[in-house]
Amino acid sequence: MTRDKETFLRLINTHQGLIHKVCIMYENDRERRNDLFQEIVLQLWKSFPGFRGDAKITTWMYRIALNTAISAYRKQSREVQTQDLDETHQNIGDVDAYEHNDENLRRLQWAIRQLSDIERAMIMMALDEVPYEEIAETMGITQNNVRVRMNRIREKLRKLLVIGHGD
Amino acid sequence: MEIEDLKELWKQQAERFEPRNANELAAMIRRNSTDIVARLTRSVWFELGLTLVAAVAFLIYALRLPTGSLKGISISILLAFCGYCIYYIKKLTILQKFRRRDDDLKANLTWLVKNLSSYLRFYRRSYTILYPVYFLLGLLFAALERDFDTFYSLITQPTTIIIVVSIAAIFYFVSTWFTDWYLKKLYGNHLTRLENLLRDLEHA
Repeated sequence: MTRDKETFLRLINTHQGLIHKVCIMYENDRERRNDLFQEIVLQLWKSFPGFRGDAKITTWMYRIALNTAISAYRKQSREVQTQDLDETHQNIGDVDAYEHNDENLRRLQWAIRQLSDIERAMIMMALDEVPYEEIAETMGITQNNVRVRMNRIREKLRKLLVIGHGD
Repeated sequence: MEIEDLKELWKQQAERFEPRNANELAAMIRRNSTDIVARLTRSVWFELGLTLVAAVAFLIYALRLPTGSLKGISISILLAFCGYCIYYIKKLTILQKFRRRDDDLKANLTWLVKNLSSYLRFYRRSYTILYPVYFLLGLLFAALERDFDTFYSLITQPTTIIIVVSIAAIFYFVSTWFTDWYLKKLYGNHLTRLENLLRDLEHA
């Protein structure tokens, strides 16, 4: 195994939670989530030679992972949008890794899935405490735009969580 | 619930993912990509390979033929194969331009929309040119099957002209409609989705 490959695999191993989070937010089906995970790892590997270390590793990973997830070819692009809380429960609950998920986390995942692809990307980074400057850099918009959109997203999430709680 | 409360909840899920081991991760970087560009590229390479193999087989066959109409047909088919090879190479060149992943999301989407649109335009244009060529080739083969003089006297009759022009028009409209439908079904919805995402980002 080459040194580069070893370094890459170590990095992915350390930060694979980030990839899991992107996958669960962008794919419902377990098999497709697995495919997306593999595709993201592959795209990260292809982009790794260009990673110079001037950005934080997580920012770089978010950029590649979100580009891969958002621009992925989907036959049913509306599927994620129309999912209800029960389906989220089933889709997430049937995965071994999530069997201990509590109700609040499931509700949060459901609420985020109701947002648009772009909003989902932004809230995920915000929840992972990525600074607005880096969110702006990853999305290709200004920090001011990030601030305005985050306010709207926060408001939407609040409403969605109330609806989810009512269920 | 405030965003700060949600952060704590969000962090909890990281501990619950089933981690992939090093061997699984190593296997992932050896596999073929499943993204749309990689799939299109693989399919174009396959078609190019198949065309080259068929062209070589046809060339060997044509070289063994004595001079005559069959040799003429074989050479015209060989020329069509050459045209196809240029077409596939052009497709591969366009697809090569798609390969950018480490830009920001907006730049990447802009790039994808631009290239996918130009790829679909090229695809559509090439078939708009190819269908009349197929039609003319069909006429040429019909002429070669009969003797040329009989064919000429038949094709210059007003009723034959009307029939041929009508068939050509129907053939053209049906084939163009089919190409549009096929492209829309395969990639059109994906392109619309990418355009909407870009619009969403631009109107932040």
